[in-house]
Order: sequence, then C-alpha cells, then structure tokens
Amino acid sequence: MSRFLKFLKKDTVKIAVSLALFALALLFEHLLLDITAFCIYIAAIAVAGWQVFLDAVRGILRRDLLDEKFLMSIASIGAVALGEWSEGAAVMIFFLIGETFEHRAVRKSRSSIRALMDICPDEATVLADGVEQTIDAEDVEEGSVIVIRPGERVPIDCTVLEGSADVDTSSMTGEPLPRSIGAGDELSSGYVVINGLIKARTLRPASESSASRVLRLVETATDNKSKEEAFITRFSRYYTPIVVIAALLMAIVPPIFSLMSINESVYTALTFLVISCPCALVISVPMAFFGGIGGAASRGILYKGGNVFSKLARVETVAFDKTGTITTGEFLISGARPVGVEKEELLKLVASAESVSNHPIARCLKRASAEIEKPDTAEEIAGLGVIAEFSDKTILVGNRALMHKYEISLDGIEEKEGAVYAAKDGELIGVVYISDSIKPEASSAISSLHSIGVRNTVILSGDKKDNVLRVAESVGIDTAYYELTPEDKYKKLQELITASESTMYVGDGINDAPSLARADIGVAMGSVGQDSAIEAADVVIMTDNLSKIYEAVRISRKTVHISWQNIIFALGAKGMILVLGLFGLANMWLAVFADVGVAVLAILNSMRALRYKEKKY
Amino acid sequence: MKIKYTITGLDCPNCAAKLASQIESKDGIESAKINFLTEKLTVETTLSEADCRALVEKCAKAFEDGIEIE
Repeated sequence: MSRFLKFLKKDTVKIAVSLALFALALLFEHLLLDITAFCIYIAAIAVAGWQVFLDAVRGILRRDLLDEKFLMSIASIGAVALGEWSEGAAVMIFFLIGETFEHRAVRKSRSSIRALMDICPDEATVLADGVEQTIDAEDVEEGSVIVIRPGERVPIDCTVLEGSADVDTSSMTGEPLPRSIGAGDELSSGYVVINGLIKARTLRPASESSASRVLRLVETATDNKSKEEAFITRFSRYYTPIVVIAALLMAIVPPIFSLMSINESVYTALTFLVISCPCALVISVPMAFFGGIGGAASRGILYKGGNVFSKLARVETVAFDKTGTITTGEFLISGARPVGVEKEELLKLVASAESVSNHPIARCLKRASAEIEKPDTAEEIAGLGVIAEFSDKTILVGNRALMHKYEISLDGIEEKEGAVYAAKDGELIGVVYISDSIKPEASSAISSLHSIGVRNTVILSGDKKDNVLRVAESVGIDTAYYELTPEDKYKKLQELITASESTMYVGDGINDAPSLARADIGVAMGSVGQDSAIEAADVVIMTDNLSKIYEAVRISRKTVHISWQNIIFALGAKGMILVLGLFGLANMWLAVFADVGVAVLAILNSMRALRYKEKKY
Repeated sequence: MKIKYTITGLDCPNCAAKLASQIESKDGIESAKINFLTEKLTVETTLSEADCRALVEKCAKAFEDGIEIE
C-alpha cells in the first residue's frame, strides 16, 4: 500500500493517470453516459488532487484560508457542484501540471545558481612530515603546507612555496585568461590550477578564505531585499484578500439584482479564486534578483544585497579615486631629460643604481634599460633615494632633497612632480620622469559608462594638479578635483551626492572606507581581502578591472528590468483574465493558466538575469 | 543560539514565509527565517538543539506534505 502511495505521489504519474481518466470521461460524456463520466471525472480529480486536498485541510486546521491549495480545492469542488465536471477536473489537472513545471523551473534555476557557487572545495591535501593526507578544508590550520594538483581548485588562500602553473581565476574574478603563477605568488581559494603541481603555505583558515567570503556575501545578499521584492511582499498581503472578497461579492451581488443566474455568478467567483494566488510574482521577482546576484558573482562582481540594484541602475554620477583605481598604482617612465650624456647612458646608469632596491619606484626604474651594470655597493636612504658605488664612479639617484644633500647643482631644472634626479661623481647627468601608469582599459571603461547614461564622471585625488589633469584628460573623465586631503575628498563627494540622484564612488578600499559608505553606491575594487572595504561597500569587485563597473551597472539594469517585466506581465495577465471573467468570457482553464502558466513564464524570464551578454542589451 | 537547517520541498516563497512565521510563533523561538531560494531555514532559539529540531520538524509536518529538514 505504501509503495502504491509513493507511486501516486509522483507528479508525472499523477498527471498521466489523471489525463487518461480525463480523456476517458470526456468520451463517456460525449456518449451521453453521464453517470459513468461523472465517476471517472471524480476519479481524475482524486488522482490529481488528493495531496492538494490534504494540504488544504492542513491549511484550514491552521486557519489559513487564503492558501493557494485551499482556493484550488474550493474552485474544483465548486465547479463540480455547479455541474461543470470537466472544468472541475481541468482545474486540478492543470494546476498540477503547472506546479510541476514551476517546481522544475525553480529547481533548475537553483541548481544553475548553485553550480556558479560551487567554488569552495570541502577537502584539502595537507603535507606534514613528508606525508600527504586529505582532510576537511575546515580543519587545516593556518600556516600548513598544502598540495594542489592540476585540475584541482585551491581550497584555502595560500602563498606558493614550490612549483609553477597556469591558474584559472574566472570563477572568482570573471577574468577569462589564465594567470601564470610561481613561488611567492598568492593564490585565492576558488582558483583552479590548470597544469603543474603546487605546494603552498596557507595564509588563513578555510572559513576566512576568499571563496568562503564570497559565498557568505552572496548568501546574505539575497536576504537584503530589493525595493521591488519589498513591493511584492506588501502587495501580495493585500492582493489575495481583495480578490477573495471580490470573488465573494461576485458570487452574491449579481444574483440579488438578477443580473446573472446564481450558477453563472458562482462560476465567475470561482475563476476569481483561481486567479487570486500571487505566486507568479512572489517567486519570480526574488528569483530575478537571485539570478542577478549569482550571475554577477560568477563574473567577479559581488552585490551586497538586492537593495543595491535599483540605485545602481539609476546611477548618474561616478566618482573615482585615482591611484590604484584609474591608475594601476605602479610607476612607468614617462620621459627623460639627459644633461651632458646620451639618453641611453642616463637610463643605463639609473637602472644599474636602482637594480638592488625593491622600492616601487626602483622596480620601475630598473626596467629602464636592458643593459645593467651591477654596483659594488648600494645604499638606500629612506625618503631620498639610492647611492651606488661602482669601481669607477659613484651614482646618486633620488629626489631633489638627495641632490641638495650632496650639493649637486640643479640650475635650470624646473621642479616637477614625478622627477627622479641622477648624478654621476657630483655632477647632474639628467632627470627621469615617472608617473603612475593608467590602466589600459580605463578610457574605454569611462566612455562605456557615458554611453549608458552616466552624466558626470569625476576624479577625486590627493595628487598634484598636473598629474590628475593629465590622467583625467587621457581617460575622458569630465571633472577632476586635485590636491585634496582625505577630508576634502569626503566633502567633495558629499557635494556630488546632493547634486545628483544616484552617485557611485569607486575606490580600492584603502583609506577610503568612509567615502565608500557615504556614496549611494560604494564600489570597492580588487580588495576582497579587506574587511573595512567589504564592510563599507555596496558592491565589491574582485579584480581591479575598471570595465567591471560598466558590467555591474548593466547587470543591475537588466535585473531590475526583468523584475518589472514580470510584475507588469503577471498583473496584466491576471487583471485581464479577471476582467474577462467579470463578463463571463473567461473559463476555468484560462484562470488556471493565469495562475500557474504565468508563474512558469515569469520564472523562465527571471532566469535571464543569470546570464550577462557581452555586447548588446 | 542560532541554528541553520536545509529545508527542501517547499512549494513557493509564500508558503515559506507562512511556515517561518508559524515556527516563529512557537514558545522558545525568537526568530525564524526561510530563504526560499537557498533553501535555508535559520532559527534563533533558546531551546536545546534536539528540542528545536523536533519542534521545527513538527511544524513542517503539520504544514505540507513532503517538506524535509536536514
């Protein structure tokens, strides 16, 4: 018996059996064998709806009369009572079919989102005393040595000790090209090692590693409801009771005034009941946001909640931090002015002197020349520069203060930002100009933002005027503010916020947490490891690629768009069928479609939020 | 204490919200939240783990056929 029950619980079995019975009953009805037809209709209803009836009874027991299943049961029983047997059966069967589709759609979207989120391996291979052991990633202590094989996902944030490989970072950063890594490089959990065997030391516990953080962020993001979701919740609280009351009035009032027969009016009331469930909306709208959040996460864009979407979709002003956001934070040589020597000679001497230093500026300068002469000794003077001794000469490379200290004449050399001076044996041999290099995608990223309706792009920088203006001009930023103290930056941002409907601030999360928090939308770039940034920002972008901002805006627009499509489509379809019902033009079949059919279509539509198309919107 | 369960077999977010508010109305439960899409039930409770689980399972059983709690 229990096996039979289990068999009858399968939706597909219920659908097949009840449809067969339904067809049989139609045939008998056609042959005017009414009693037989009636019995078979009842059997079809029982097969399709026995669980629905049971749940309806449970609903009554907990005094929840607006339960969808209760309404369907009333509609089905009511139709049969009115003598519309086939309609009564159709309600149940089509409700069941619709529900089955709906569950499939929900399941499918859940699993596609889950697949995107499958970035956190449960196990790690630990190397201790020369023995490899696979244990739960959660149990791996900080500072352990782990082994990652080709094809495996990095389980815990770590630094490579031995080995080199190409790693696929796409599920964490959305960057399609693999990255080459070697000893000393950091790996985030969630990366996939494509080739090569890696030994690495873990930096933190698994639960604090990047992939776990991302997952937590995405999970809590779906709890922060968007404006649209909140609207639907509020709406459905009123919608169902109102339709049910309308149905009651529909059943009672027209017969009193003899406008309809009681049969007609009750039938119309029943169609109202079937339409009254707001499920299409209550499922599809949050699902669109869930899809948007999940889809964006797989491209390395993390939204802190559904509530970010509508603000982001309307963004008008985008303010950028300069260093590390528009620029890479790394230096490039932008010019050289030799004095009394050849340019090649100047660059060679500078590169040689700096070859032993590890200062960010030195790292740039030592790439200035392919030919490098190793100094015998080299001394770094903090804040000034380098003194390098060669067998036949002494080279000084550094700022103005260093030159002053060694009494080197700088006559005729104007003071300029980013100038590095070089002297040989007490004589100036030239100046090398360096600048922060602009990210290669910066100017296309800015123009793409303008192309989607961002009115004003702004740069807020503490850097010198010349530098800031040069950067702003070369990437196409509208307004530049320079030489700002951190407080000035915050004040300027505040002015921008008051002046525009929705203002975004983009920073690297270092030192600008208050601005990230103050802006309508704070975007932290390339700083998933920084707690203060994650805390303050509304959107966290895993890479430092500026074009992700454009993607983030477009994904949010698409998601908001889809949610409104669903709201309008579902309400429109339901409203239309209600009106048709009012004039007696809608039958039960149409009503069932208005309920479950609309829900399925809306869910399918919502799933589009998961995918982001590169070009066209 | 905060306890997280995986809850499967719910039909729609509407039902999920209803079940959550039912659980919430019980003695010893401070808050209950169901995320329909991630299928997670989060309960804040003063009850012991075993008691809480029994209560949650009872509520689910009285609510609808086929809801599973893990």
